[in-house]
Amino acid sequence: MEPLALLLTATGMDNPEDRARTVAAAKAGDLEAFERLLRQHERLVLATALRLLGNLDDAQDAAQEVFLKLHRNLAKVQLSGNLTAWLYRVTVNVCHDHRRKRPQTAAIDEASQLPGSAADPHQDLTEAERKHALDLSLRRLSQKERAALVLRDLEGLSTAEVAAALGSSEATVRSQISKARVKIKKFLDQYFRRRS
Amino acid sequence: MNCPEWEERIALYSDGDLSPDDLAETKRHLDQCAPCREFAEGIAHSLAIARAAHAEAISPAAFTALRARVLEQIARGRRPSRRLAWIVPSFAAAVLAFVLLVPRPVEFLRGAGDSHRQQSRRHDGSTSTPPPAPLLEPVAPAATQPFTPNRPPRARRRPKPRPPAEPFMVKLITDDPDVVIYWIPN
Repeated sequence: MEPLALLLTATGMDNPEDRARTVAAAKAGDLEAFERLLRQHERLVLATALRLLGNLDDAQDAAQEVFLKLHRNLAKVQLSGNLTAWLYRVTVNVCHDHRRKRPQTAAIDEASQLPGSAADPHQDLTEAERKHALDLSLRRLSQKERAALVLRDLEGLSTAEVAAALGSSEATVRSQISKARVKIKKFLDQYFRRRS
Repeated sequence: MNCPEWEERIALYSDGDLSPDDLAETKRHLDQCAPCREFAEGIAHSLAIARAAHAEAISPAAFTALRARVLEQIARGRRPSRRLAWIVPSFAAAVLAFVLLVPRPVEFLRGAGDSHRQQSRRHDGSTSTPPPAPLLEPVAPAATQPFTPNRPPRARRRPKPRPPAEPFMVKLITDDPDVVIYWIPN
């Protein structure tokens, strides 16, 4: 099952009528309805922001801003399934702004963060190691490559949906995704070579 | 990898992002090129690792904190601004002070309104209307409307009669003890 489908099932968003009713109630000023909306989409926004920004504190700040924007702009959000696309687009924009305002100052001493020797490079990866490897590899991407890869490969959007969220063409997105995949593959090869 | 020109297409091939034409061409190449097959496997493997890491759960506490922050911000936005919060009590205090300190507030306000109307008439500039009566012109008592305040008028205090004051006097003492000059103004 695609990651997005998993997400929709997990959050109970598979019923468009319920979702439309919740959005309508939230639009009418019902704070509980907005909280339901928040619960339904918090994973989408926070996980995307976490992959785009690289740490949980910044991701929470960005996610908070996204949901406050949602609250302010509820009247503009369509009742149909555009809310998810809207949230992805706003999350990417907020994270870009966040990175512009607070550039990552800590120099990444990647050599020191690479793992020490272990038995099998690709097996027995702990959860922490996988996250660490993903985080380091995402740092090697440009901002646009990173956004394209996170939405397409990690969040499971289609190329057309990614293009809509990023405001670019599908051809551009394909180029960004392919470059990003090659960079990640090369980094992980190096990462596991060191590990072994 | 010996075929850098195939790199981009192989990267897209791994997750089905190629057009049908490119897909067929890439498959043909992969059938013939072992290093590119290895490269394609490596791309697929790194994507699998990245997806596995991404799918791992974020702590529920992080979501709880996020929810609390968002809802608190919204609630704060709904409350009246702290900067303006002082206006209502200040206005109420000013009205209360006015009512308590001004003996006849209705009359006071009516007088202020009259003078304002007279002033505005004066600045009107129209020549057709006659000039207003002088402000200090005495008005016959019969023409005035008796003022009936909402509350009973306070009893006016009569000023207490003062004891007769001593006349003002200046006394000049000279060097000569027998000579003293008094100045008493009329």
